[in-house]
Amino acid sequence: MKITRIAAVTASVAVALALTGCGAGSDDSGDKGGKVTLKFQSLAFQDTTVKATKDIVAAWNQAHPDVHVDYVQGSWDSVQDQLTTQFQGGTAPDIIQYESAGITGFAQQGYLADLGDKLGDVKSDVPDPIWKTVTVDDKIVAAPTLLQSYIVFANTDLLKKAGVTVPTGDTWSWDDLRAAAKAATKDGTYGLGFGLSQPTASMLSFGLNFGGTYFTGSGDDADVKVGDAELAVPERIHQMAYDDKSLDPVTLTQSGSDVMTAFLKGKYALTVQGSYAAQTLAESAPADFHWAALPVLAGDSADQSANPQTMSVAAESKHVDDAADFIDFYMKAENLAKVAEGDWLIPASTSAAEQVKTDTKDANGWPTILASLDHLVAAPFQSVTNYPQWKDQIATPAFQKYLGNDISADELAKELEDGWKSVNGG
Amino acid sequence: MKTGNVATIAPTPDNPTTSRSRRSHRPGRSGRDAWFLLLPALLPILVFNVYPLLRGIYLGFTDARAGLNQDIHFTGLENYSDLLSNDLFWSSFRIGLIWAFGVTFLQFVAALGLALLLNENLRLRWLARTLSLVPWAMPPVVVAIVWRLVYDPNSGPISGLSQTLGFGQLNLLGDFSTALPAVIVVGVWVGMPQTTITLLAGLQGVDGTLHEAAAVDGAGSWRRFLHITLPELRTVIVAITSLNFIWNMNSFDLIYVLTNGGPGGRTMLPTLFAYNEGFRYGHFGVAAAMGNVLVVIICGILLFYLRSRLKGADK
Amino acid sequence: MSLQRPSTAVRTGQYVALLGYVVFLGFPLIWLLSTALKSTKEIALGSIRLIPDAPTLDNFSAAVAKANLWQAGFNSLVVAVATTVLTVVIALPAAYGLARYRTILRPITLGWVLVSQMFPTILVIIPLFMILKTLHLLDQLPGLVVVYVVYVLPFCLWMLFGFVQTVPPDIEEAAAIDGAGRIRTLVSIVLPLLRPGIVATALFAFISSWNEFMFALVLIQTPDKVTLPLTLSRFVGAEGQVQLGPLAAAALLATIPSLVFFALIQRRLSGGLLSGAVKG
Repeated sequence: MKITRIAAVTASVAVALALTGCGAGSDDSGDKGGKVTLKFQSLAFQDTTVKATKDIVAAWNQAHPDVHVDYVQGSWDSVQDQLTTQFQGGTAPDIIQYESAGITGFAQQGYLADLGDKLGDVKSDVPDPIWKTVTVDDKIVAAPTLLQSYIVFANTDLLKKAGVTVPTGDTWSWDDLRAAAKAATKDGTYGLGFGLSQPTASMLSFGLNFGGTYFTGSGDDADVKVGDAELAVPERIHQMAYDDKSLDPVTLTQSGSDVMTAFLKGKYALTVQGSYAAQTLAESAPADFHWAALPVLAGDSADQSANPQTMSVAAESKHVDDAADFIDFYMKAENLAKVAEGDWLIPASTSAAEQVKTDTKDANGWPTILASLDHLVAAPFQSVTNYPQWKDQIATPAFQKYLGNDISADELAKELEDGWKSVNGG
Repeated sequence: MKTGNVATIAPTPDNPTTSRSRRSHRPGRSGRDAWFLLLPALLPILVFNVYPLLRGIYLGFTDARAGLNQDIHFTGLENYSDLLSNDLFWSSFRIGLIWAFGVTFLQFVAALGLALLLNENLRLRWLARTLSLVPWAMPPVVVAIVWRLVYDPNSGPISGLSQTLGFGQLNLLGDFSTALPAVIVVGVWVGMPQTTITLLAGLQGVDGTLHEAAAVDGAGSWRRFLHITLPELRTVIVAITSLNFIWNMNSFDLIYVLTNGGPGGRTMLPTLFAYNEGFRYGHFGVAAAMGNVLVVIICGILLFYLRSRLKGADK
Repeated sequence: MSLQRPSTAVRTGQYVALLGYVVFLGFPLIWLLSTALKSTKEIALGSIRLIPDAPTLDNFSAAVAKANLWQAGFNSLVVAVATTVLTVVIALPAAYGLARYRTILRPITLGWVLVSQMFPTILVIIPLFMILKTLHLLDQLPGLVVVYVVYVLPFCLWMLFGFVQTVPPDIEEAAAIDGAGRIRTLVSIVLPLLRPGIVATALFAFISSWNEFMFALVLIQTPDKVTLPLTLSRFVGAEGQVQLGPLAAAALLATIPSLVFFALIQRRLSGGLLSGAVKG
């Protein structure tokens, strides 16, 4: 049949056109005349951090003509699915940014290279408790880069108006927070706004304040136990929202940044935020808006969990050593400090923290933020294989329901424990 | 891909055939030619649609999971017995059914009302008609964004209005009790085009003389609607509600962007749940098994629905 | 087809209902436009006014500058155009074959159009992912094109099949008697008659692939290869730092192409095709 032949020819021409058209520029990473190209998938999202990261890449590329690093933009929001598909599809980047609680599963699936003997000076520069968060089956599967802690920010004008003295000192107790929030609640102003639409990370982190660890054991054998220690912080928040009515319950369903927007409008005297929120305050607060970063919250201790951002190398990368060298370069004090300042996060290495201290001249709450590094410790949940799934499917809805006054504290404890069994058993 | 969206713009294949069917058997045109013409279409469909589908069904009976150099083992019904005790999956199923039935029903009622209005000689009809079609042309992701703006607790009009009236801020997508109803409204909105157009076309096909005869007999417009319009539309209604139900049960994009299943899993549709199982946690076999369960249940419900409808038609 | 003129009360009720529909359907769109034109400050203040105080195009420039919107738009365009061309080229002869020859293929193909609707994408997408990986088409735009072509094909076939059937075979026979060759008959006589059908099919293929999200989500991983819906979905989520203004502007820009094509299809919708569509 002539028609089919014509159709076939036309079709194949069109396919060829489409393929070459789209395929242009999709060169595989790899060697071009001895030159190595590495893909670095960065999750930086603030303009300043993106720039700082790109500057580091540019500096590396200038210093290493043979090993070219390509900056690839990723996103925190989709990184878990994206890495799963990338690893599975064999298209993972060489250098991978993520967080310690997220990489355990990938490490156990064999996707991350052992960096134990490949990293240089940073080994001694980062405190041991933080190395523990990136060690899986005795292998170091990532370099910890930046950490966040949770900080209370205060609208000092509102606090003063309510007759509350702005606290000073090393730590601030949950009881004092509760009293202050209560005192500052009046005429449509709530004492506290706490953005907890994604509550699990902060609840597990604050759990350590009262010695609540949630998990015992590690890997696949871990178990969840929820007792008084674990429930201490959730119960306090619940009391503030529903007994004292000093915490705006709408904020419990909102993200931290939404609450920050309202905080800037003077709706709350206090807000609990990730330390990075200081940036919004420093950059967007009106001149007549007076704020302060308050001392870290404490129960029995001021411990929070260290869940550092991480840099890993894909096990399937053809150039693991070169990629590890880049991570070393990225971890240099002056580089890490730049990124930390861009994101308003705490650098994991002591030398970089010193650098940040010098650069920021103790302004904008930085002393409080940097001081919280001492309170960051490894928490058991990070070395649990199915933690991400438990977090998404069990813990987040359970905490949300509890904070939404839908279930009791006992039911919360039961859901967390039973849910773990179904997630980990299946 | 929701391919059926424009079901209504294709002319019906069956109408004009009758005059021609005897001619199709002319000598000199063998079935072999048809195969040649169809091959470029059939081959890719076989490779990229039929085969993956069969393979997907098979994966539902294996332990396929993410990992470097993982082997796939046939595990029989193990995935399904695990699913039986997976409360989360069933709760997502329940949500999926509420969503699919809710959206399909409301869509049908709303679209029928609109179609009836559009069938009248009203001014501004063109506006409602154009507006009712626009959601079809919008990417589902954009639809989700539009509604996120509308529902936004800080700057959205609904929450704003509520604040102005003194009821305080509303976070419709973030609140446990309102999230599912809120996304159902979006589902109805986005599904209006194909339902309205299909029903309108059906209405225009209703024989006008029937109405006239009934009117002469003194039947009011409501009675005529019940006894003439609805029965005449029966086939169209069954077809479009069945399709809508399938599409709604399988919908993904809209919810992925609107709520991603939150808050607290209150809008976790089964497709989203299965996607997470596969591409978030790497349990491909289990995800495929969930897909299989979904297909079986959809088929079951449709069979039941179609049988009861068709039985009704016989009477 | 109204018989007696409806009473004023009924008419009023009808207009109120129609107005309700117009508001329900139109308001979200107007709100999108309004948000896109508002300044960041006005959005932050939570103004519920439809008309911005000081309309500005800042959000559009911010959107275009921030996300990799151009790259994604270009990718979407390449994918959608390639899908459209391939689909029409493949579907046209196939639809002709289906319509002109009564073979077992007809019920099978048309049945497949319906059956394939039943299966959730999740079932197909895992094996598809692995097949594309084997073919080195994973995370490649051509791979996405192949998938899109295959998934719009059944329905396009069905559409075109209907159009071919409206062209009486007698015309071809008459031309053949006049001595025109088979190919010439097809090209110069049948093809022009099929133009509206081809246009409609092409627009359908274009809009479907322009809007598609789930396949792209799973099959495309490298940021510089993502399509517009993917970029927009990530715009939404960027770690709570959503800037609603630029987001609205980007969403608006992303809708324009399909709206334009839709406007073209819409005229066809109001034509005669519609009336006969679902009878029987």
